[in-house]
Amino acid sequence: MSERRSTVVQLRNRSGLKPSKENVELMRRSKEVQTAITKALKDGPKTVPEIAKATGLSKDEIFWHLMTMHKYGVVEPDEKDEAGYFRYRLVEG
Amino acid sequence: MGVMDQILEKAVEEEEAVSYDVLVVGGGIAGESASLDLADMGFKVLLVEKEPSVGGKMYLLSKVFPTLDCASCISTPRMAAVSHHPNIILHTYSEVLEIRKLSESDFQARILVKPRFVEDDCTGCGQCEKVCPVVVPKEYDFGLRGRKAAYIPFDTAVPKKALIDLDHCIFCGQCERTCPVGAVNFLQVPKVVKVRVRAVLIATGYELFSIERKTEYGYGKFKNVITAMQMDRLLAPTRPFNAVLRPSDGKEPSSIAFVLCSGSRDRTLNNPICSQVCCMYSVKQAQLLMGALPLADVTIYYMDIRAFGKGFEEFYQQAKAMGAMFVKGRVAKIEETENDDLVLWYEDIENGGRISKAVHDLVVLSVGLKPNSEIVEVFKGEVLERDELGWIRSRDENVNPVETSIKGVFAAGCVLGPKDIPDTVLEAGAAAAQVAAYLNEVGV
Repeated sequence: MSERRSTVVQLRNRSGLKPSKENVELMRRSKEVQTAITKALKDGPKTVPEIAKATGLSKDEIFWHLMTMHKYGVVEPDEKDEAGYFRYRLVEG
Repeated sequence: MGVMDQILEKAVEEEEAVSYDVLVVGGGIAGESASLDLADMGFKVLLVEKEPSVGGKMYLLSKVFPTLDCASCISTPRMAAVSHHPNIILHTYSEVLEIRKLSESDFQARILVKPRFVEDDCTGCGQCEKVCPVVVPKEYDFGLRGRKAAYIPFDTAVPKKALIDLDHCIFCGQCERTCPVGAVNFLQVPKVVKVRVRAVLIATGYELFSIERKTEYGYGKFKNVITAMQMDRLLAPTRPFNAVLRPSDGKEPSSIAFVLCSGSRDRTLNNPICSQVCCMYSVKQAQLLMGALPLADVTIYYMDIRAFGKGFEEFYQQAKAMGAMFVKGRVAKIEETENDDLVLWYEDIENGGRISKAVHDLVVLSVGLKPNSEIVEVFKGEVLERDELGWIRSRDENVNPVETSIKGVFAAGCVLGPKDIPDTVLEAGAAAAQVAAYLNEVGV
């Protein structure tokens, strides 16, 4: 088991592979956006425009990450407002 | 060169002692149907699919027209069947590199089996996905949401095994440390399997027309201009959003426009032909949208409605009766407003052909089909012919529609030309029968 766990290290050592700058930036940005969304939702469910107002991020980027977070069970939809926007809340636990 | 390409360069060649009766290339509905028909007749089939799961495009659809049956409910049993049939060997995430005809009913094929970096012990639990820190656009949702670099293609993928997208991996090892069965293995190597087959069946299907080329429509620039395939995803049970919402801000749309013949019947894009399915899938989506969003207006901009198949005209009339508006006129260009709505400029043919404009908050481009026929390049020695638009050429469309320019190589489905699902399944059955007749004729 311990040998299996080290296969990524072995691959890096053998092939000299390093994470590309683009992939590190992808990771950094998604973490930044998802952390900001999570923080904005801590004080209650919000719509995409409300999250945009709270975070200063663009609505399309928020929505894209919100739907990704929905796929992985981090957020879930709440009620829809009169303008046709769903509110989203953090999944407890 | 990407990381995966560097690794694939080091593929190890292996000669398989087993030979097969038929090599089927493509695991969509055509390839699956033909494989099952042949396997049921007792022939040994090698089915090769380039994606990490079989299913093709049909699985991604919401419902089929005109019956409105659930597309994934029809396709998932076939996906499972090809993976369990004793006469079918399935290679997913694999590519045919070369096919060489050695003599009549004797072909040699080289197949690249790519490493998933996850062993078969994988239970598909998805723990690796949860901890992977890299998010990239999900191909199976046409980029509408993200997936991780360690991922399972979709919930009912066959095989339901994870894989690591090495081109986006940061080699943090979180997936490996988390996997409860120790299935992640970054040391897997690609292999090239060399096999002998007696016949070949091409079922590589179609690609969507690259509608970015029609710059007047703003696809890729305006967030609320989407393709009909993306709309089908939004309407599917496995949809990427929690409801039908527009991508720019998650708002429920109240006025949806369909632009028919986007990339079809358009000489400016060098695609003069009708894609045959766009009218009916748009009528289908219009009906589904009116069910999902009862208060929304749905407008279809069209040149002609081609409702030629069984039940199609009734299906079209049903959409009209439900309240879908049909406007005869070609859309010239689309502009975006400050609040992400879209202004469509069009020729209003039924009102004297004047230039009119209309505002919608979501626009669906009913994108046409183009052939996925690069497979011709793997044939060595003999030429697998294509027509002037790139579809595989039938030996004789009237009497031998599924035979190709190479004896012993057959084709079925959209790689021969655009067609709907029932016609594809029918053609797959015909191809299976022709393959069987060929194999019986040439003998063992």
